[in-house]
Amino acid sequence: MYKSLSIVFTVFLTLLLNSQVVLASSVGKNIKQTLTSVAGNPDAPDFNLEDQNGKFLKMSDFKGKVVIVNFWATWCPPCRKEMPSMQRAWEILKDEDIMMLAINVGEDSDQIFAFTAEYPVEFPLIMDTDSSVIRQWKVRGLPTTFIVSPAGKIVYQAIGDRDWDSAEILQQIRKLKKK
Amino acid sequence: MKRNRPRSISVIVAALSISVLTSHQLFAGESVIKYGEDPATGLKSWLWDNDGFYLELKQRLPDQTRAYFESRGFDQASTEIAGTSCVFQTMMKNSSSDSSLRLTADLTEWRVVSGNTKQSMLLREYWQKLWLDRQQSESARIAFEWSLLPTKVQYDINDYNWGMTSYGLPPGSQFDLLFSWYRNGKKYNGRINNVICAEDIHPDPPPQ
Repeated sequence: MYKSLSIVFTVFLTLLLNSQVVLASSVGKNIKQTLTSVAGNPDAPDFNLEDQNGKFLKMSDFKGKVVIVNFWATWCPPCRKEMPSMQRAWEILKDEDIMMLAINVGEDSDQIFAFTAEYPVEFPLIMDTDSSVIRQWKVRGLPTTFIVSPAGKIVYQAIGDRDWDSAEILQQIRKLKKK
Repeated sequence: MKRNRPRSISVIVAALSISVLTSHQLFAGESVIKYGEDPATGLKSWLWDNDGFYLELKQRLPDQTRAYFESRGFDQASTEIAGTSCVFQTMMKNSSSDSSLRLTADLTEWRVVSGNTKQSMLLREYWQKLWLDRQQSESARIAFEWSLLPTKVQYDINDYNWGMTSYGLPPGSQFDLLFSWYRNGKKYNGRINNVICAEDIHPDPPPQ
């Protein structure tokens, strides 16, 4: 009787302690990098926005390509955090017929110029100075990034920063080239 | 004596089990809210992480908020209003590990309880009307709007926002935050007690 009770008690304690370890380890673990599918794949709204050099870019200019459209601002900490990984992803993807555009919300070219001294990037930074485009795209918070298919449909989105050069995300983006 | 042994062992086992289970519950309860203090600045923070919802509030000094909005084109009187409205740097996140669980939250449902009063937070819509009435520039209004957390959010796994939240209380006030979020149509509620708005202090710069 004593022996069997001891065994039951030992098993019970072991299970309980194991559950605590699993709970504790799951709190801080890195979650897999993912993009979320957008229901219904709506059409990507067109825009005509100026970059820092005075050149205008339209969304419709890139039909037939996968386009990564990122909404950001210089004062937004997670936007700044993800910029280096976006640049690394751009270096990988730019020769694969994939476009990357970062749409700044509400700031001017001087503010963006100062930002790029600290965070040098080579993909186009275009300006939504009156925030009309971010409203058309139904963004709620910064940063938000959309992945648009070659057919001009919004297929994925990410709210908050991501590691854009992670293998999981690059794979998700590349798969769209076939759509 | 021999006959009593199994019973006494059973009692011990039961007592130990209850005590271990109780400590487990306490551990789980304590892990829901974490309190922190930045050793360099003394600014306090509160963090909730439970049921797949992560909420973190970090105090902002009124001077930080004044300076932030002044550099975005607000006039001095308006930066004073914003700076003294109890502003926190805030992070909200879907912390679930189940990718099928979408989280939504509506900040109009959240309540700020201070003393005998219960009020809403000051959200984007409130501030936009105020800044229009005060004829602040469009660029300033855009910066303010996007600096605040959205009023309604929808997060899939890994999604989060970082922005300011304001509670409409004087510097140094204490309040309880009652908040809620939804998962698959089910409403969850949370509460963080004794949150403190940063005092309106002007720390000296560090010695050279």
